[in-house]
Amino acid sequence: MKKYTLALIVIFIFTGWLQSISAQYSFWQPEGESFAIEVSLENTDLKRLPIYRNAVQSLTVTGDHIIVGTSANEGLTPFIYVASLSQRELLSYADLNETVRGQRSIQSDFCRGRNDVLFAGTIANKDKNGTRGDGHLIQINVDSEGGIALRDLGSPVPGEGIFSVTCDADGTTIFGITYPTGMFFTYDIATGQTQVYEDLVPDESQLRTFRNYVQVPDMYLSRALIEDDQGMIYGSTGLNDIFYFNPNDNNFTILDDKLPEVWGRTSLGQVQSWVKSPDGILYGGNFGDGQLFELNPATNRVKNLGKPVLMHQLRGLAFGRDGKLYGVAGGPPGYGHLFSYSKNGEGFHIYGNPQFQMVAPGIEQGIRWRAFNMSRLVSSPDGKYIVIGEDESLSQLLIFAVDME
Amino acid sequence: MYGIMFKIKIQFTFMLMAVLFAVPVEVAISQGSTNSTGNPDITENNITFIDYPGFPEQHSTWNSIGYSPTHHKVFIGVSDHQKSNALYDYDVASRTMKKIGFIEDLANLRDHQWQGKVHSKFVEGPNGKVYFSMDGGVLRSVHLRDHPHGYRGGFFMKWDPATNKLTNLGMGLEYDTVKDMDVDPETGVMYGVSFPQVHFMVYDPSTNDFRDLGRLGGGHVPRVNFTDQWGNNYYVDWRQRLVKYEKSLGELVFAKESLPAFDDTPGTHIITGITAYAKDRENGIIYLVTYGAKLLAFHPKETGIGEIIDLGPVYELEEELWRPYVPNLAFGQNGKLYYFIGGHGNFVKDDTTIFMEMDPATGERNIIYEFHISDMVEATGSDVQDHEGNLYFAGRKRAQDAGDGTDVQTSESSAFMIKFNPEKEVQP
Repeated sequence: MKKYTLALIVIFIFTGWLQSISAQYSFWQPEGESFAIEVSLENTDLKRLPIYRNAVQSLTVTGDHIIVGTSANEGLTPFIYVASLSQRELLSYADLNETVRGQRSIQSDFCRGRNDVLFAGTIANKDKNGTRGDGHLIQINVDSEGGIALRDLGSPVPGEGIFSVTCDADGTTIFGITYPTGMFFTYDIATGQTQVYEDLVPDESQLRTFRNYVQVPDMYLSRALIEDDQGMIYGSTGLNDIFYFNPNDNNFTILDDKLPEVWGRTSLGQVQSWVKSPDGILYGGNFGDGQLFELNPATNRVKNLGKPVLMHQLRGLAFGRDGKLYGVAGGPPGYGHLFSYSKNGEGFHIYGNPQFQMVAPGIEQGIRWRAFNMSRLVSSPDGKYIVIGEDESLSQLLIFAVDME
Repeated sequence: MYGIMFKIKIQFTFMLMAVLFAVPVEVAISQGSTNSTGNPDITENNITFIDYPGFPEQHSTWNSIGYSPTHHKVFIGVSDHQKSNALYDYDVASRTMKKIGFIEDLANLRDHQWQGKVHSKFVEGPNGKVYFSMDGGVLRSVHLRDHPHGYRGGFFMKWDPATNKLTNLGMGLEYDTVKDMDVDPETGVMYGVSFPQVHFMVYDPSTNDFRDLGRLGGGHVPRVNFTDQWGNNYYVDWRQRLVKYEKSLGELVFAKESLPAFDDTPGTHIITGITAYAKDRENGIIYLVTYGAKLLAFHPKETGIGEIIDLGPVYELEEELWRPYVPNLAFGQNGKLYYFIGGHGNFVKDDTTIFMEMDPATGERNIIYEFHISDMVEATGSDVQDHEGNLYFAGRKRAQDAGDGTDVQTSESSAFMIKFNPEKEVQP
């Protein structure tokens, strides 16, 4: 009898060990509706984007349409494209070079004007003399069939690109940060009037610090902007400072509270992503060390919610229909992890490195697409889907269906 | 001798189109037609297994074998599958297997630069130098990655047999391994593929110019890249389409169509692409075997993608023709292909690895050896042939069954080199 008991224990332990090994080598492949959409493929008759011009930089969802602005390798030009959540395929794309010439990246994220018209800012390719050309504001109209119409709104600050934008809730004003200098600007959508402010431009002392740490503007300018419920525009300056701009008096305020940091890494502070909860609290992701933080605009106090993973970067945040905050933590040279954060006890949950099924003509049986370099993350308006874009030579979309059970 | 059980022969009813004529054609193959003709000249004296001395902790070899025509030596990387890797050479003339040393010592690696295995082939480049690359290859490289206990990244290596000097040529991508590599024999430019992010890398050691040409794969990393006679290099994308580094352009060229696959091949096998290759240099053909168990004849061109001829299944199963696993291939001086089927828990006969002969001119396939997995569980290696026509593979076997009913863990193995010649007896 003792022999049988011992045998059962051994079998139990061995089975557990096998499961443990299996679990360690498996990747996150959720059951249900999660899937990937093949957007990029070189040399094909299928409707796809070519190599090195498809990295997802700006991402949003309107109804069934996933709308993306890409970046390209230096010397190449980016696309705007529309993919369908329900049809799980690329519907249409437009080469930005046919509307605005010489641009490299639709960099800024989208902001939404009236009637779901979208706006974005671009960064130009380098000119022959090595300097950058003018970045432009562009207007994007997407019709019900996914057709794209682009309009060039011109360059708000000649010689500068546009690093980040957000719109006000009325959809009448665009707020942005220029690149590489870091000027703040407002753009009246109706009149095209632009106002430029140099309050946030790093001074010589700050620039010296950035140089000492071999920092470039991509690392210290605010990668994301957001409007709170009172109409204030929040973002980061370098060196861990958080600012807000008051459109009522055109004044800038630097908060007493700073971005959360790991000691000694003040130079790395940058808001890489923002999202606003239904109760008006702002949640942000810090590039420097990958912390998630909470900012209460009523008190302007910052709370460090911690780091989901060891890596730096927190490249996208969005709320799902389950009330959880979803995000991408980490990134190159490591690879990103999808996580959720819930204030109701669970805290962080790390899903890991997602791997979704991708079905398309020619691969009808489906192949596994594993996401490594996830650059942006948003949710669909109903919160049913978390949409993730990649930053690869051949980038695809990954769609995680939020489970309500 | 090493558990060679018997040999049988299979011939398909319909002969394949002669691949030498480079006619792209889908080949029809009948099911289960056999006869007793074939090659009666191959006996157990045509094959021998050669041990690796001086490394009792050794565990395995993984495609980590190659031949140097200049030095008439076979080079092998043998791993303990944790953090130690020995470099061996086998001198063809003296038939001597020698441990040169441990790679971590020869390359002055620190503990934090640990490497799990050599997963690349060994390739002779210009001036008789031999090139290979390093792989993490164990769970902590995959999952601990950027953690201090994780993996820093794989290195490109150069071994000079003339001076017995190993040179670390530097890292590929941070945290990624270099799963396989090949060398342009004219320029010495190296082509690498990374794990797990499936990036294609081009590295010129003479200028230290390193280019990451980006990600090409899906949820799995194809294990093999290879070079044609002009120094162009080939890999596959997630649709199992050939991707060529076009040397004259300095950029990637993608085939429009996927490599042939059986209709029911699962996506997991499509994304893994090519598992081995062997070259018929005289006729300019590169034979390929896919993870979907197809044999292909590839006729490369100096520019553009060449033609692909489908040679059918590696083994004719009743169903799931895509299933057999063949991570090795060699082309004999007799014009026939040789390959082992089995490994990673995938066998066409229970607990048995089989060794096949296939004549691409006629389509005839013969099973010439069968091995119990305790004698030979898996062979890797592509296109390793010496000047005498001997073919080499990197073999491994499972740990011996203790005979007391104790389960033998599949992760336990030991490695040896396989030497085979279809036309004459071989000596260890």
